[in-house]
Amino acid sequence: MSSLRKLFGDYRSLAGAVGRMTQRNSVLWFCSAVKEENQIDRKDKKMSKAMRAYLERATKYNEFMKKERDAYEIGRRHLANMMGCDAETFSQEQIDEAIEYLFPSGLFEKKARPFLKPPHLVYPLKKEAEFDETGRPYHFLFYTGKPNFYSILHEGYHHLKALNDMEVGKKAAMKLTDVFEPLDLTGSKWLELKELEERLVEPIMKSEYANFINIMERLSSHKRAFAVKDFIMKNRKPLMDKQMSFEPTEPLTDTDGRKYVLTRECPRKTAKADVKVISPGTGLISINGKNIEYFRSMAARKQILFPLDLTGLRDGVDIEATVKGGGEIGQAGAIRWGISWGLRCFVSPDMFETMRLAGLLQRDYRRPERKKPGQAGARRKFTWKKR
Amino acid sequence: MANVLRTFSRWINTNRVSKDSIKINSLWNRSLATEAAVLEKSSNLQEADKLSALEHEDFFNLKPSFTIKQLFDARVHFGHKEGTLDPKMKPFIFGSRLGHIIFDLDSTAELLFAALNFTAHIAYRDGIILFVSQNPQTSYLIECTANDCKEFAHTRLWRQGTFTNSTMIYGAVTRLPDLVIVLNTLTTVLEQHPVIAEAAKMAIPVIGIVDSNCNPNLITYPIPGNDDTPTAVELYCKLFKNAILAVNTRWLTIILSREMVWDGSHKKTGELSSIF
Repeated sequence: MSSLRKLFGDYRSLAGAVGRMTQRNSVLWFCSAVKEENQIDRKDKKMSKAMRAYLERATKYNEFMKKERDAYEIGRRHLANMMGCDAETFSQEQIDEAIEYLFPSGLFEKKARPFLKPPHLVYPLKKEAEFDETGRPYHFLFYTGKPNFYSILHEGYHHLKALNDMEVGKKAAMKLTDVFEPLDLTGSKWLELKELEERLVEPIMKSEYANFINIMERLSSHKRAFAVKDFIMKNRKPLMDKQMSFEPTEPLTDTDGRKYVLTRECPRKTAKADVKVISPGTGLISINGKNIEYFRSMAARKQILFPLDLTGLRDGVDIEATVKGGGEIGQAGAIRWGISWGLRCFVSPDMFETMRLAGLLQRDYRRPERKKPGQAGARRKFTWKKR
Repeated sequence: MANVLRTFSRWINTNRVSKDSIKINSLWNRSLATEAAVLEKSSNLQEADKLSALEHEDFFNLKPSFTIKQLFDARVHFGHKEGTLDPKMKPFIFGSRLGHIIFDLDSTAELLFAALNFTAHIAYRDGIILFVSQNPQTSYLIECTANDCKEFAHTRLWRQGTFTNSTMIYGAVTRLPDLVIVLNTLTTVLEQHPVIAEAAKMAIPVIGIVDSNCNPNLITYPIPGNDDTPTAVELYCKLFKNAILAVNTRWLTIILSREMVWDGSHKKTGELSSIF
């Protein structure tokens, strides 16, 4: 047991390392072929100092990882025994459950709580050798120290030059029918500095990032930028809004022959609402069996009516909602979102776009900020008089 | 002024270089034959190649790769204004015209050949060659040149200690370049490029295009000439690229000649020169 606790202690201290692990895909593992070092040594005595140092590092790293893997395996088996499960088939989900049960933690930060994970998820990955056995680098911009970043700039200018050449070459034989194809970039934006750094595994300075944006802007605003669409889009990312699908669904039909959309579990703060929008209707609103006076505050009532007023369907649809949990504003917000979500199936595409821009279709994920120790609330401080 | 112009026309009309190249070609054929003989005797062929390469005056046949006329057309002879002249550049200067320095292209050609020859020898021994410049106007061209001949380029911001503190900069023990070719020895604010001092500290030979406002002191193979005009930089890039690629061609002939020696068909060696 004590050894197990020690093990967890070790892992807990490593929690910080997890944050640095986000770019696992872009970094390469030390080649598994960090083959037996001695063999290579014997084969090629002319190996460069750089390669020898790399092999030494790789061997040390691999030994360390092997030790950690063994420790992980022992911990896994201990946990299986304590939980009375079969050690052979004890999976990672079971490990997480067991730790939550055996070592309950009141710590707010999830990363600070005890965990047991395979070592390759805990320790940062190392870059593979960037040069061959004679020490000659693979990348022609290796000596700049940031080959990945600078090769993007190089490639960017290469494309820009090609487009300009195309322009000059075509000028002589230009016809009226010549179609310029500029690139439509709406719905995406350039990668942020942090994201670029993570993708390239290289630290980038602000001034260098400005260079990156500069060349990319020049390239994407070119008349014929469509020709290099792939390169440009590789360095952009879609805006969040576009990722979520707001597309309306087909409404169902009632026993009365009326169409309706039922949205279950509409969330806002801790409130949850089931909202049914029925069309055509006469403007009836029923919330937990009562009318709009269910809410006493005017602010809450206004929230309910806002989507109906915006779409002009206040007297065109009926609303039936059951709501529980949360306070008045939370409940009103939950119903508002449910109404908007249902209404989008009954409105024209133009109105749909207006609703989207008004932010009616966007879920509100906000939660109250936590109270801090040493303070009266999230931000409020205790009264304090100097003298 | 008239005197200078007359001299220019002398450069244009001269066919001294082409005569030289003819002489060299004949020498070339002869040396190839002797080399074949050396190869036959030697058991370690590769070592023999390298030895004979150093004894040879122009092992890679680089003399005919440029003419003084070409240098003149590429405006290599134009220096900066008189007032900016570095006194160390005086030996390479022909004179001045309308307040601008004019380089002596004869000495430029001689030094350029020495530099090209040295580059080819480094490439012949699998050395790493690094092209350096900080002129944004030509950086794309230089990077392309380096990429084309499978060598390396650094035309970006130079971090202090890139050579002298390389283990920290690259995060691991790193093999440094064996030759640095600086196509613009000044930075954008007209100070000497830090690579020159760092290479000198690490005993890495440097080939540098030195304009009239540059100091050639720390440069192993200075080439006096214009380093600002794109046509001139294009010419330098082309020449260095050819010199590095000529090594591949040279290897090819050596391999071919070796096979012929082994076949015992010595007569064919004469035909080899047609490859060049």
